[in-house]
Order: sequence, then structure tokens, then C-alpha cells
Amino acid sequence: MSSDIALLDPGHKAAGLTATNVSCWFGTKKVLEGVNLDMAPGQVTALIGPSGCGKSTFLRTLNRMHELVPSATLAGEILIDGVDIYRGAIPVTDVRRRIGMVFQKPNPFPAMTVAENVVAGLKLSGMKVTRAERDHLIESCLTKAGLWNEVKNRLGDPGRALSGGQQQRLCIARSLAVSPQVLLMDEPCSALDPTSTRRIEQTISEISETVTVVIVTHNMQQAQRVSHRCAFFLAAENEPGRIIEEGATREIFSNPVDPRTNDYVNGRFG
Amino acid sequence: MSENILSEGTPVTSTSDVLTPVVRRSRADQIFRGIATTASVTTFILMGLIGTFLLVKGYDALRVAGWSFLTESAWAPDQGGAFGVAAMLPYTVQIALVALVIAVPVALCTALFITEYAPRKLRRILTAMIDLLAAVPSLIYGLWGLFYLQPRLITLSKWMADHLGWVPFFTVDDQYGTSLGLFPSSTFVAGVVVSLMVIPICTVVMREVFSQAPAGEREGAMALGGTRWGVVRDVVLPFGRGGIIGGSMLGLGRAMGETIAVTLIISPSFDAKWSILDQGSNSIAALIALKFSESSTFGISALMAAGLVLFVITLIVNAAASTVVSKSRSGASTEI
Ligand SMILES: Nc1ncnc2c1ncn2[C@@H]1O[C@H](COP(=O)(O)OP(=O)(O)OP(=O)(O)O)[C@@H](O)[C@H]1O
Ligand SMILES: [Mg+2]
Repeated sequence: MSSDIALLDPGHKAAGLTATNVSCWFGTKKVLEGVNLDMAPGQVTALIGPSGCGKSTFLRTLNRMHELVPSATLAGEILIDGVDIYRGAIPVTDVRRRIGMVFQKPNPFPAMTVAENVVAGLKLSGMKVTRAERDHLIESCLTKAGLWNEVKNRLGDPGRALSGGQQQRLCIARSLAVSPQVLLMDEPCSALDPTSTRRIEQTISEISETVTVVIVTHNMQQAQRVSHRCAFFLAAENEPGRIIEEGATREIFSNPVDPRTNDYVNGRFG
Repeated sequence: MSENILSEGTPVTSTSDVLTPVVRRSRADQIFRGIATTASVTTFILMGLIGTFLLVKGYDALRVAGWSFLTESAWAPDQGGAFGVAAMLPYTVQIALVALVIAVPVALCTALFITEYAPRKLRRILTAMIDLLAAVPSLIYGLWGLFYLQPRLITLSKWMADHLGWVPFFTVDDQYGTSLGLFPSSTFVAGVVVSLMVIPICTVVMREVFSQAPAGEREGAMALGGTRWGVVRDVVLPFGRGGIIGGSMLGLGRAMGETIAVTLIISPSFDAKWSILDQGSNSIAALIALKFSESSTFGISALMAAGLVLFVITLIVNAAASTVVSKSRSGASTEI
């Protein structure tokens, strides 16, 4: 299965991400401070924490989406396989193609068909594929996103004709199609039913050999099921968010060092 | 309990049992609805009144001319001669088309530059400037076109006639060769001047629509490794299709109705021709403006009939445009 992902890029390998001392501002408001996190190649890292603590913001710094917000600024360093994504030689479009993203709100291209949506990334980044490769890619990516059976007879429908949860899975398929080396997922399952959620989690496990996954989730069971490592974010009142604790998922959930982590993972908090 | 609200009395069949939701409106809703309905009905009535007015006033002339009003190119109602719009109408369309061919691409690129490429500060300045330009009276454009642009455009006209003469519209058949004196009062020059006042209007509409392209879709495209051009092509343009067409149509309407600038530039001709570069052009609006004060009652009736033709054509163009727009994606997608 995982070889499908590397269809377009046979030498494809998961890449490691390293965030060093990352701080973020919106205007003068500091929302993240001094975040250090190592996201090793082929590992699934879960970001957990209460609403508003900066998980999405941190995720968006990892593929340079943060800078698209007017007034957003950033300090620190983010490396992909040791190369700085902000100051290094990699063009920003390559950074974003190699580090894919599934957004908190589904954002399919409404005017494109379901099939076109899946391969939109190829067109956007100028990759050429044959007809057969394209068809194969559409099927395999939609299957991995747990959407194939629902849409295989309506591939020509516009993307906007799908339900919210279907749109979200379409967006997951779309981001898989460009064979990213890292995939950032911002609450990908928050709009999904249990079956689809299971399918996505299964896909995350399958692709994690070739894709490094960073996932934001509010679902503690999900974090435990899919992730190898876990980082707990927390923002005290009127203070920027920080990583309180970070480590192997098993440790974070069974034996956390910080009492606040303990409270949060056991549902006694925020 | 279940009753078919749609078809009283007929037996309810289980499969085609379509429900019509009953909507009970609140008081505020009703009041607003009333105001909105009145306003739109007023617009409708106004259009009907204008059409009727033109028809009534132009009736005398139309009765005399009959269908030949559309096929006759001379204009001599006051002398008891034949009259019709067969020359003015094509000229009007030609001027408008020249204006649009220039204005739409320029406006499209300007709007895209402002929303997609310009740094934020420049964006604000440019937006304000375009809004300002859109508000400049057409007389100003006309004067500037007459005194500044016209003398400079004739060299371009000559160049085009000399080198692009094989293009049908650019053919100038003058037995004495192309001299500069041939070019000043042409359809082309009038069209260029009109395009200047159409550009800001089109740009304002297109920029407004482009700037509303959903941020989520833009980010989605960028997160897939899309370039700015990719975002424009896959998100902004599909989203803005309605605005592009709407802006163009607004421009077309303005171009066809433009009076003063065209009157200043052209030297009236009553022989329709394909070539747009050489001397002699016309337009319905310009004709009305030129002849109005010196016409007899019957002459004015003929001018009203010409106005009616312009009115009807504008309506047709706009109706066609709105059909195209409504078939394309509506601006906002519903959140599910
Ligand atoms: N565009 C923005 N402009 C200003 N402030 C912002 C913006 N986006 C986010 N913030 C602020 O930054 C902080 C972190 O937001 P972020 O979206 O990263 O939280 P989150 O951890 O993802 O929350 P959730 O779990 O609800 O998605 C919040 O206090 C939020 O108000
Ligand atoms: Mg978030």
C-alpha cells in the first residue's frame, strides 16, 4: 500500500522536521513561545492541548502557512532534514509541496470535480502524469482517505456537492496525491463518523513509513491510537502557548511528568 | 395527521409526497421584505416606464420608417428623407468592442495585480486610485482624449494600417496612401478613449470579487505547493468568473452609452464600414446629443426611436450576461 504513495517519486522518503525555539505573534500579541519539537522521520507526532493554545498556529509555521496571515510574525528556526525552510535554499512552493497540510476546516476547490480535486496538487505544482497514473492515483488516494466507495460513481460531481465529512476526506486524499514527505493534519477527523475516522487512522499508520505525520487532535483516544510521540501545549491566561511536556505517547498518557499534563490527558482540565 | 400541502384534495401518494415548508416570518422580517420588494419593483417599473416613454415618443417616426429603421443608414428625418440606425448601430457596437477589447484584459490584470501580487500598502493606494478614476466624469476623459491622446494615437493608427493592414478591421483603402490626416476621428480613437473610462469601472468590480475569493481555498492551493499563478488560475478566476463577466458587461453598457467623449472625437459618418482606423464613425448616443437641439418634432421622435434601439440592445446584452453569471458558481458556497 505505501508504495502507492511514492508512485510519483520512487526515491520518496519521509523527512524529519525540527522546530527550534519557535515563537509566533499576531500583531503584537504573542501566541506561542519558545517551542522546541523534534518530529522524527516516519513517526507520528500528536499535538494536544486545550482550544486556543496555539496548536494550529504551530502547525502552520511548519509549512510556511503562518506567514500568509497579515500581521503574523515568527521567530526561531524550522528545519526539514536539516535544511532551514525559511532561510534555506528550498523555494517556498517546494516547502509546501513536501510538507502537506490538511486544514481544520475542509477547503476543497468547489468548482473542480471530485477527481480534479484529488489531483489538483499535481497541476498546481506542475507535475505531469499519464492518464493511467492519474486514474490510479485518484483511486488509491480516495481509498486511503476512506472515500472511494462513496464517490466512485460521482467522480465528475463538483467538490462542493459533497457533505462536510466527505469534503474533509477529499482534502485528505488531495494532500496525499502530491506524495508529501511530511503531512500536517489539523483535527482531520473532527467532522468524521467513526468508520471514516478509523479509516483515516489506518491510513496514517500505513503511510507513516514514508510520510512523517504531525496531527492535532482533541481526541485523547485517537492520540493514543495513532501517535508515537505526543506534545502537550498549554497557554496560561494572557500568556503565549508553550509546550508543557513532550515525549513518547505511552509515557505522556500513562506516566506524565507534569501534573497539568496528567490533568489534561485524564480530562480534568480546560 | 399528514396532509399534502401542495395538492389539496388529491390523494397523497407515498413516493411523490413533497413537502412545502411553511415559513412564518417575524415582524422585522416582513417589514424588510416589504421595503426590499418595493425597491426592486420600483426598479422594474422604472425600466418599463423608460421603455414605454421611448416607444411612445418614437412611435411617430417608427410608424413612418417601419422595419427600414433598422436597415436604413441615412439620417434625414427633418428633410423628409429616409432615416435609420443601420450605420450608427454598427459603429456604436464597434466603438464599444474596441473599448472592451482593450479594457477587459487591462482591468483583469490590474484587478489581479491589486488582489494577488501587490504588497499590502500598494494595494490600498491602488484601490483608492482606481475608485477615484471610476468616479471621474467622462467629459474629462473625453477632453484629455481629444487634446492629448488623439494626436498621439494617429501615429499608432498609421503604423497599424501600414503593417497590420491585412487584418480585416485595419484595412484602410485610400487611393492616395495612408497619410496621418486620415486617422484622427476614427472608431479606433473613440474606442481607445472610451476604454479609458471603462477600465476603472471593470477593475473596481473585478477587484471586489477577486478579493472575496475564500481564504481557505487560497490556502488549500498554496499548501499543495501552488504558486501565486496557480492560486489565481485554480481559485481566484473560477471564483471570480461572475465578477469578470459582470464587470465587462457594466463596461459594455457604459461604452455603448458613452456620449460626450465620442461626440468630441468622431466626425459623423452615415456609411457603415468594417475598418476602424480611418476617419468617420458614429454612435447612437453621439447622434442624439448632436442632433437633439436642432431637430423638429418628427426629428426628435426619430432620435427617441434610436434611443429605444440602444435601450433594447443594452437590455439584451445584460440579460445574456446575467444568464451566464447565474450559470457559473455563485460567490458563496454554503457551509455544511
Ligand atoms: N489570524 C489570527 N489573528 C489573530 N489572532 C489569532 C489568529 N489566529 C489565531 N489567533 C490566536 O492565536 C491563539 C492560538 O490560536 P490557534 O488557532 O493556534 O489555537 P488552537 O490551539 O489551534 O485552537 P483549537 O484547538 O481551537 O483549534 C488564539 O488565542 C487565537 O485567538
Ligand atoms: Mg486549531
